[in-house]
Amino acid sequence: MFRFASILGRLCIGTAAAVSLAALGCSDARKPADPVAAPTPRPAAEASRKPSRLIFVTNGDDPFWDACLSGLKEGERRFGCEAAGLTVSRDVNNGTAEGQIERLRQYATQDDIAGVAISVIQADNQSIVEEMRKLRSKGVKVITVDGDVNRDTFRDARSFYIGTDNVVGGRTLGTATRALLEARAAKEGGYVQFAGFTDNDNARSRMNGVKEAIGSAYAERDRMADEMDLPRARDNVRNATQNHKDLVALVGIWAYNAPAIADVVTESDTRDRYVVATFDAQDLAIGHMEKGNIDVMVVQNPFEMGVQTVRLLKGMIEQDEGVVAEMFPRSGQPDGDIFTTGLRVVVPDASSPVRADLFDPQVVEFMTLPDFKAWLATYHLTSS
Amino acid sequence: MDSPATARHGWRLPRHELAILLATAAVYVLTGWADPNHTYFANWAESRDIILRNTALLGIIALGSAVVIIAGGIDLSAGSMVAFSATTCALVLTLCAAPDDRRLVTVGPGGIAAAIAAALLAGLLVGTLHAWLITTIRLPPFVATLATLVGLRSFARALCLFVTKQRWGSESQQINVNTPFFVWLKEHNVWIMTATFIALALLTWLILSRTVLGRHLYALGGNEQAARLSGIRTDNVKWFAYCFGSLTAALAGIFLMADSSVAQPGNLARGYELNAIAAAVVGGCSLQGGAGTVPGTVLGALFLRVVIDAVSKLIKASADVYEGMIVGIIVALAVTCTQFGRFGQGGRSLFPGIRGLAAIPAIAIPLGLLATMAAANVDLLAGRTALFGGVVGAGVLVALAAVRHLQGRRGP
Amino acid sequence: MTPIVSFRGVGKRFPGVTALDDVSFDLAPGDCHAICGENGAGKSTLMKLLSGVITDYEGQILVRGVPARFRDTRDAEAAGIAIIHQELNLVDQLSATANIFLGRERRTARGFLDDESMEREAARLLRELECPIDPRTSAGALRVGDRQLLEIAKALSLRSDVLIMDEPTSALTEGEVARLERVIARLRGRGVTILYISHKMNEVFQLADRITVLRDGRVVTTVERPATSPREITAWMVGREIADHDFRSRGPRGPKVLEVRRLTLPRPGRTQLNHLTDVSLELHAGEVLGIAGLMGAGRTELLEAIFGAAEPIWTGDILLDGSPVRFAHPAEAVAAGIAMVTEDRKRLGLFPDLDVAANVSLCGLHAAARGGLLSRSREDHLVEGMIRDIGVKTPGPHAAITSLSGGNQQKCILGRWLLTKPRILLLDDPTRGIDVGAKAELYQLIDRLCQDGLAVILTSSELPELLVLADRILVLAEGRITARFTHGEATEQKIVEAATGSQAPR
Repeated sequence: MFRFASILGRLCIGTAAAVSLAALGCSDARKPADPVAAPTPRPAAEASRKPSRLIFVTNGDDPFWDACLSGLKEGERRFGCEAAGLTVSRDVNNGTAEGQIERLRQYATQDDIAGVAISVIQADNQSIVEEMRKLRSKGVKVITVDGDVNRDTFRDARSFYIGTDNVVGGRTLGTATRALLEARAAKEGGYVQFAGFTDNDNARSRMNGVKEAIGSAYAERDRMADEMDLPRARDNVRNATQNHKDLVALVGIWAYNAPAIADVVTESDTRDRYVVATFDAQDLAIGHMEKGNIDVMVVQNPFEMGVQTVRLLKGMIEQDEGVVAEMFPRSGQPDGDIFTTGLRVVVPDASSPVRADLFDPQVVEFMTLPDFKAWLATYHLTSS
Repeated sequence: MDSPATARHGWRLPRHELAILLATAAVYVLTGWADPNHTYFANWAESRDIILRNTALLGIIALGSAVVIIAGGIDLSAGSMVAFSATTCALVLTLCAAPDDRRLVTVGPGGIAAAIAAALLAGLLVGTLHAWLITTIRLPPFVATLATLVGLRSFARALCLFVTKQRWGSESQQINVNTPFFVWLKEHNVWIMTATFIALALLTWLILSRTVLGRHLYALGGNEQAARLSGIRTDNVKWFAYCFGSLTAALAGIFLMADSSVAQPGNLARGYELNAIAAAVVGGCSLQGGAGTVPGTVLGALFLRVVIDAVSKLIKASADVYEGMIVGIIVALAVTCTQFGRFGQGGRSLFPGIRGLAAIPAIAIPLGLLATMAAANVDLLAGRTALFGGVVGAGVLVALAAVRHLQGRRGP
Repeated sequence: MTPIVSFRGVGKRFPGVTALDDVSFDLAPGDCHAICGENGAGKSTLMKLLSGVITDYEGQILVRGVPARFRDTRDAEAAGIAIIHQELNLVDQLSATANIFLGRERRTARGFLDDESMEREAARLLRELECPIDPRTSAGALRVGDRQLLEIAKALSLRSDVLIMDEPTSALTEGEVARLERVIARLRGRGVTILYISHKMNEVFQLADRITVLRDGRVVTTVERPATSPREITAWMVGREIADHDFRSRGPRGPKVLEVRRLTLPRPGRTQLNHLTDVSLELHAGEVLGIAGLMGAGRTELLEAIFGAAEPIWTGDILLDGSPVRFAHPAEAVAAGIAMVTEDRKRLGLFPDLDVAANVSLCGLHAAARGGLLSRSREDHLVEGMIRDIGVKTPGPHAAITSLSGGNQQKCILGRWLLTKPRILLLDDPTRGIDVGAKAELYQLIDRLCQDGLAVILTSSELPELLVLADRILVLAEGRITARFTHGEATEQKIVEAATGSQAPR
């Protein structure tokens, strides 16, 4: 009696688990525009529904991606995805290469995926690249956004890249930092750059850009990686300021590094010793700049990345040559597969030593903090 | 003598294993049906590959955990051991590659063999360290392996920085591994890992049920004092158990490194130890020691991976948000089920006293919230998600309260 | 005067064993009432009934003339009955104060712990008990005697007027015993009724007003102390029918295989008390050497020292075939041909998760294995042969060991050791909790093994067992050998006198 009850019990649980999962998932069954396909449970081979989903895979969990999601939604609206039978969703990775590999493998099994945009976590990771290639070979459109694969070796893993030109971004931040240092009459000294991974493509490019533009008068003491672990990001700043006594500037390469640096210099009351220059504008970082804890932010435009991602993927899926040609006029030439979303340099106010004429107006939009906040407000964003 | 009981240790499937197998099949079929893509039927081969690869990886670690658990211990360090072994392997490859080769493509067969040997040796050393801490220093297994859980990962990271700095002149937190052998391993990893897993399962089964050592493992876990008084060198048996646990994790580390083409000690295989322990427990291993089987553990790993995979088929995006929840529920339910008969029979109440009363909302509220989240995806319920969740939560609340009331009336 | 506690026809049966049968006697208020009886006579069971540990029993217990049926120990405590256990129930990590007030902590008006008031009360109680400890010391750091007083303090703080003391002096030094006697006298002065369980005659006769003797779960008699003598009490304790069969049909004894010379085993951390002091013995092939003694007399410690089961911190010599040995692990003793059936089968002998065959074959597995690989058929063959040989009644070799009766479980453990083909067999109280039929079978088995030349050391809580089996009997009392008898000389009376120290004042 007990045996039987036990087997039954386990069976019930298995069934219950599956049914409740089904309840979570069935939603999607009812959504598609084609109402006939959904209710009948039959092998999908004959169902042959039109691939309809666009997926955006992040590298990790960061508010930076919230602005991007807003952009995706804006793009979905602006380019009429609903009418075209396309939906866009975001898949937040857990900060590991395995996480992205596993996600790409899952997409490969699912027939309704039409396009994938991915912020590649490790530019040189062959496993990620291969899963991307496999997806492409199945006819799924694959592009990279924000974090590209290694362009020398793995360019064929994706069709296009949308994002910041990270070297230019780095140079812009470096130039601003140098201006700030010179205004402080700091002729020499060291600086440290902080990022999630020092060998991630975008981090590496930015750091090289910073190093190039800041000039040889200032010595790069270290590049510190925190592996996207927030407490470690703070500890890295603490260690850097304690280990190198000649530091004059702290450079945050990834979005969350900005509040980490600002927090540490305010907690240790050493704000006036350093120029704090950071990438991106988390709402925490904006708050810090308002309080004067950050001198300059080079802000990417994740919102625009989201919008352009939808535009490009939709164009590719619909084989709309016009869209592709418009976005990539130099297609076929070196680096013609790169779409650069603009950069903004944000300073606290007009009295900053960083001035608009330091930068190429084609690439960089110069803004003061109040102007920048006004722009955020138009799209109901809190960060960028 | 033609004793009918000789099937005891054979490959028959007792009811526990049978139940897991049926539940696995049920989850697979129901998911395949409920998933609008019907991926499990339409892309059967690819789904199978994903499940096999992940099951093999989890299963290899779970076999080690099961042996330790059967011997009455616990190994919390498996995830860190995976990262440590992957790092060791990659570092030896780094040292064997050309000095400027950061993709490690120039490593010869000797280097590859040395790297694999070093990773496995690392497993043996860590297992030995555990055994020493537990038998000689008399640390409880939980504490000893907790220490290595946190210690090994950070050691691996430090080692990674140090060796890359020495070799390449700049520190790196991760090492890309594109050695042709490991690329080949990755390309064929579904079948290689599955075969390894099956071979390892057979070996473990052989050890546990066909050797003196295996019997001593069960005896040690079942009653350590009695085992010692029976002349069993219990400390040596523990040594084997912890070495086996670490060795399987080290083996998994090599596969995981090949599969992700990178050794990233910072967060490679974080939390894997808990899934491995969960698989063993679902498979029927008792954390008190002395009980558990290899077929159970293998099926436990399979069940866990199928359910996790099913969730990602159904929830589509960011499914791993739900992974922990699913594993937690499965473990609690599986263990509850093995003792289900005890409720109701011996007058043991499900919700005794004030504590029981408090448990009812503790179950109903999360279920209500889950229902709310699920309803958010259903068009039919648009605008009424909170209402739906509330109704489900209240329903559960009333149902459980009724169970409590009925049991209270029936009891003394 | 109404008795404070009355037992009326109380009985308690465990599967296969009648622990108590129709027990009736009264406890007068303010008395010190001693309960005497051999190991297994039912004393502890009786106390468990009275203190609410065991709740289902036959008959009635009246407290102050009112029938009472306690649902748990709290009920008993509420009725003013407290027990000081043989194994003390203290939380080592908590302070003395916290232990005294455990579960009944005093609180301030705001609901926080009122440490001050509790410490004051604890200090008062401890002072009254001549216990010179700081109430803030953690219980784990205290000596056994002080821990016991702590338990008494706990009982006093409960305002208990019936205090049960179960073998309170078994681990105390003489100074501590004297202090305890003074404490008991003072408690009686306050009108506390004391139920004193002991088999040490000198203590009983010093403290008790009345004595109840239990034997085999029945009351033999209740007498006023002045009306009796230690000799009479011991006679009542042992006066049972001795099994008529003599299980000794041996040939001449063989050569000396084991010799123990002046073995002294200190208690870890205690300098005044040894587990064993100057124990010497010899054992010959083909004989049974019986070791008698009360619980805690050092029987188990002696066997464990020989078997290498305890830390080898003893001094003296153990000679195996004339050459000195010092085993650090039972494996070494097993390799040298020694086997030991431990006391407390459940805790130290049985593997509840393994089946009968695996339980039997465990020590002899190497005979069924080649290169570490077990041959299932050879194992089964071995086990089935042994099961048949020693007459284990089991549904099959792969039945659950827990489904067997105690006697058959014990046979399985004996069979486990016989598979190692030992030359010396140490049996530590092998028949505890076994029914009479199984006992007789075990006796025959032991005798047969002896005839085959095995040397056996047998300890037992049951004297008849030693009398029918042993060629020679040593009596241990408090770690020393107090008497040696040959088979012909030994009587229960003499042994009990030697074991309880009642033949002469200490």
